[in-house]
Amino acid sequence: MNQPAQMILFRRMAEAPEGDRSARARFVLALLVLLLFAVSAMSAATGASDASAIGVLQSWLGGGAESTLSERDRLIINEIRLPRIALGMLVGAALAVSGALMQGLFRNPLADPGIIGVSAGAGLSAISVIVLGHTLLAPVILVLGIFALPLAAFIGGLATTLVLYRVATRRGQTSIATMLLAGIALAALAGAFSGVLIYLADDRQLRDLTFWQLGSLGGATWTKLMAAGPVIAVALAAAPFLSKGLNALALGEASARHLGVPVQRIKAVAIVAVAAATGASVAFTGGIGFVGIVVPHLLRLIIGPDHRYLLPASALLGASLLLLADAVSRTIVAPAELPIGIITAVFGAPFFLWVLLRRRGILDL
Amino acid sequence: MIEARDLGVSIGAKRILSTVHFACEPGHVTAIVGPNGSGKSTLIRAISGDLPYDGSITINGRELARLKPADAAMMRAVLPQAVTLSFPYTVREVVSLGLLGGYAGDGKEQDERLPERALAKVDLAGFAGRLYQELSGGEQQRVQLARVLCQVWTPVLEERPRYLLLDEPVSSLDIKHQLIVLRIAREFAERGGGVIAVLHDLNLTVAFAHRVIVMHRGQSLASGTPEEVMRDALLSEVFDCQLKVGAIPDGSTPFLLPQTAVA
Repeated sequence: MNQPAQMILFRRMAEAPEGDRSARARFVLALLVLLLFAVSAMSAATGASDASAIGVLQSWLGGGAESTLSERDRLIINEIRLPRIALGMLVGAALAVSGALMQGLFRNPLADPGIIGVSAGAGLSAISVIVLGHTLLAPVILVLGIFALPLAAFIGGLATTLVLYRVATRRGQTSIATMLLAGIALAALAGAFSGVLIYLADDRQLRDLTFWQLGSLGGATWTKLMAAGPVIAVALAAAPFLSKGLNALALGEASARHLGVPVQRIKAVAIVAVAAATGASVAFTGGIGFVGIVVPHLLRLIIGPDHRYLLPASALLGASLLLLADAVSRTIVAPAELPIGIITAVFGAPFFLWVLLRRRGILDL
Repeated sequence: MIEARDLGVSIGAKRILSTVHFACEPGHVTAIVGPNGSGKSTLIRAISGDLPYDGSITINGRELARLKPADAAMMRAVLPQAVTLSFPYTVREVVSLGLLGGYAGDGKEQDERLPERALAKVDLAGFAGRLYQELSGGEQQRVQLARVLCQVWTPVLEERPRYLLLDEPVSSLDIKHQLIVLRIAREFAERGGGVIAVLHDLNLTVAFAHRVIVMHRGQSLASGTPEEVMRDALLSEVFDCQLKVGAIPDGSTPFLLPQTAVA
């Protein structure tokens, strides 16, 4: 008899041994794939221009002449909405996976590149390139071209993460209070230097910077995607190799080593992956906050903290949520658009407070 | 055999251990006893590979400092004092982490039901679905033991003995579970493995250890069978209080009664 796939999945879930959530996790992963498809299609159909969802699908399926889309709609979808959706997916996945990786690395659910200053460090480097790109840093731009911005942000993020790790970790134990406070100090420092650069910026740069700081997927082009995409893709591709190590790391560094995990290598790869993913995201979309904290936390409630499932699920849900937030940002004040960072902060900040409330007893801050 | 010769450990500028000699033979439970601050935990951490050392530590003839983590994980498992988790792992997920290390299983294939069998051994049958964070300290300690047991399920692998290193394995357990845990250690040794355990309770030490090493001010002061080290003078000096060793009437097993708090 031919049983539908989800029936089999349901039965596996019911039969799973107690405490084994892998069947449930696989089921949720399948749902998240469907969600991402649905959200992408919806996102392609939403915007100031009223290109319809059916028309979009037809256009995707290469419906050439018989497509109902006008030339203008086709241009809007292929050159504006599609790169925007692709960038949104990549950045959403990058931010969520960065959060999950960093939380696993620091053994703490509150670690997030945005909160502990990594994004600020990456941002400072990015602002340097934007403001000084035509003067002081012109040779760098000349050599690296469009990769200068993500590379600079990567280096800024990496430097910040390394400093944080050094400051907050003693003998393999990371102090959450030290980490958060050091993050505040580093973010303030990066903010001060960014302020100096903004002071130096001309009017056009100033406007760009302001919107960039608020976070936006606007201005996504296939060219930008070519610069950010590979960096983020490489970082995301590292995640599966880290998952078992991060699970072991939950027991503490010494216990992970006793289990045969090459702890130093796992830490080094995770830090570089976080810096790359965060750096490339910040470079092109600016300050989109809280994705890295909301997504992994929600998923841990549903499928548990096993990184073998948490990391891919974070990528999928992060991509979907960012596309949703982007759809809201494009429609809520249409035909203008609200920076997406505002949307993620409005939803993310209260969520963060809720997490804090729930964990107040455990955290001992 | 796990052997330490002329072992020294410094943390920062402070010399914690010096000229320690130590051996744990397969088939034996070797207990490390001594007062607070005498270097027991430092010794077991050094043997676990957590601290840089001078002198030598060998496991089955191989120098510890030159072992890769994955190779060391094949030969020994380490139970730390207390493990807190910041993420909501289930008990099964925690115990299954033991399957990551080295070679679990029975020497032929890895048994998927190993976590359940390990949990039953530590008297936690039926706990697999519970969240680790919601257990009591004593239950968490036994979950960790189950995880460690999964890692070295067979005490002898390819004719080479494996080892359990236990840092205060009964510190937060009630008396029933103290006995259960130490019986597991004893059984592991009797099946050909080696056990090193830091213990505080001298009477449990006498009842379960084959060999005892007495630590005092960072040095190994005495070692031998429980009968050999359980002497009034030695213990009173090491623990700095008046202690009197008696004997259980129907046998030769010594037991200890504290006399006064201050020597």
